[in-house]
Amino acid sequence: MSQSLRPYLQAVRASLTAALALSNFASQTSERHNVPEIEAASSPEVLLNPLTVARNDNEKVLVEPSINSVRISIKIKQADEIEHILVHKFTRFLTQRAEAFFILRRKPIKGYDISFLITNYHTEEMLKHKLVDFIIEFMEEVDKEVSEMKLFLNARARFVAESFLTPFD
Amino acid sequence: MSLVNWRTINVDALDPESAANFDLTSLTPALAPVSLSDVQQLSTQVRQLLRGGDAEGALRGALENAPYGGDERGKEAHLATVIEVLQSIRQSEMSPILSRIYQSEGGSEVLDTLMKYLMDCHRYKGMSQGAHGSSGKSMSPTPTGFSQAQSRNVGSDTGGQGMSVLLSWHEKLVETAGPGSIVRVMTDRRTV
Amino acid sequence: MAPPEVHHLFHHPIADHSFSADRKTLAVARDNNVELYERSGSGFQLKDELRGHDKLVTGIDIAPNSGKIVTCSQDRNAYVWEPSPTGWTPTLVLLRINRAATCVRWSPSESKFAAGSGARAIAICHFEEEDNWWVSKHLKKPIRSTITSVAWHPNSVLLAAGGTDGHARVLSGFIKGMDQRPQASVWGERLPFNTVCGEYLNNTAGWVHDVAFSPSGDALAFVGHDSSVTVVYPAGPDEAPRAVVSVTTQSLPFMSLIWSSEREIIAAGYDCEAYKLHGDESGWALAGSVESKGRPGMADRSEESALNMFKQMDLKGKAKDDTKLNTVHQNTINTIRVYAGGAGGVTKFSSSGVDGRVVIWNL
Repeated sequence: MSQSLRPYLQAVRASLTAALALSNFASQTSERHNVPEIEAASSPEVLLNPLTVARNDNEKVLVEPSINSVRISIKIKQADEIEHILVHKFTRFLTQRAEAFFILRRKPIKGYDISFLITNYHTEEMLKHKLVDFIIEFMEEVDKEVSEMKLFLNARARFVAESFLTPFD
Repeated sequence: MSLVNWRTINVDALDPESAANFDLTSLTPALAPVSLSDVQQLSTQVRQLLRGGDAEGALRGALENAPYGGDERGKEAHLATVIEVLQSIRQSEMSPILSRIYQSEGGSEVLDTLMKYLMDCHRYKGMSQGAHGSSGKSMSPTPTGFSQAQSRNVGSDTGGQGMSVLLSWHEKLVETAGPGSIVRVMTDRRTV
Repeated sequence: MAPPEVHHLFHHPIADHSFSADRKTLAVARDNNVELYERSGSGFQLKDELRGHDKLVTGIDIAPNSGKIVTCSQDRNAYVWEPSPTGWTPTLVLLRINRAATCVRWSPSESKFAAGSGARAIAICHFEEEDNWWVSKHLKKPIRSTITSVAWHPNSVLLAAGGTDGHARVLSGFIKGMDQRPQASVWGERLPFNTVCGEYLNNTAGWVHDVAFSPSGDALAFVGHDSSVTVVYPAGPDEAPRAVVSVTTQSLPFMSLIWSSEREIIAAGYDCEAYKLHGDESGWALAGSVESKGRPGMADRSEESALNMFKQMDLKGKAKDDTKLNTVHQNTINTIRVYAGGAGGVTKFSSSGVDGRVVIWNL
């Protein structure tokens, strides 16, 4: 892991651990309802200050906590057009299968590439520290995945170009 | 008359009894307004301490007098001062300074304030500009994108130089003050 | 010190729990029902189930003398359950609130109970003999958000309440014609219904998760979502308090607290373990965890068999099983209550949490 990635992930881990202190909270606005307050945003006092952990302009994590849910949005590093396309394809693949991921949000928050929504039901059913591990691992893996795809794509392009130009050799 | 689309009116916002109209100022103690000149005066004092070699005193001074009651510009100016102090302290000195502050009187509150600034530093304009020249998405100069994978790291490391100092501060601070300090950044409605 | 008694009842959150006075019956809130467990030997056996609520049960309290159980739920209702030859008979209490009920506690006199709610009100309910009916009166005035916890003063008139508006309040729940006029105390002399005796806010303004009066009733403590414990010593009516001591901690927020004596508080919450705090008017400080770290069970984990290790590596791709926390509770502790010992000093307390465990701790 590169030297500057470690403190970044460490900061995200600490913020998530602090934000994932959720409790069962019934809605104050509609009776007999129980909704993620961070999405409903109908009572300002049960929303907390959002936290942003940024490594640079192109890599940051937004954590928006509330009393019974936390929304985590990740901006994945994109250094050029190709990475932009690859990240877009990759996150699209995941969000279309959101129900299989439980905590994945179907649509990312504006300005970010992928969002997660963790509610008190998730922290009750699953181990909290494992949920944090999952997000951290996702952040590590997605960078690797994109790099790999890009290398593969470039190699393929080179191969195609080579075979295309062979007749003129 | 028909200019207003009645269906899109948020009726909750018009009801003073509605939960959506909770008065958030009731969650903060009364804050005295701080003018921009006060902030500037404080920042010269802090810089003086810093030049004199008293980095710890400069940090304490900057954090203890955080302008909660200041306006947007005052807060921004103070953020710049705090970040300047943070960047001038060497990596090896971070932990000792933090633990000294934590053990002193009212130290836990000072560190909570520091955590607020660290969580807010992405707002600092100087952070991103130096590296990329422009804000927004930085695309590689080769329009086709066939620039090989090594270019992946170039953008991030230059831009992240300033950030990585603050991230190591963050790490050291969590070691000293625990997750409790992050929790208080989230709950405290007095923002920096 | 004897190790804690751990009862793993089920894999489901326990919102609240309560023991009967003889400590033989344990009532826990599980989803929409209340389950009653009877002690048999060293464990607890499921004996009865109280069905009636149709949303999550949020609060439960067994009156120590009469044995009546009061429950409240997010379906906006409360029930009082009385033992009868044919089982438990419920009486519906119309709280007259239009949002979820969040917490419920009998007053020490057991003639009334208080139920907090998301309707920015506390319902004080007492039984009207003539009408054979539970009547509810609302405390409304300064409350601006959901009430998360209520606690009675020993005199059964004053009530402390904490809410998501960041304030802990002391209010009067005096019912005319039923309550004795209370003796004058630091909280005030004349206490008609809905008198506000105190209103306290932290600098960092976290939601108040739990409130508690000290055994004498002369001090109030509350825990908030800012990982703090605040203790208030009032000076008298209409005066600024003598001392407000706030302890900010390094850990995650606390969900529940009890006073074990005038000078010791026990608080537990998202860190999955209970902590002791010591102090008095001049200051309070964290005095460490209640759990001793060298617990039984830690040892046999370090001596894992080679077979087990290879199994782990094969199944999960790692050598060490890190899914277990090294605390007794494996998830947030929701409620702690006094188990043994009175005002003079608590010797045992019980805790319940999201992990479905009820644990009885020795102090």
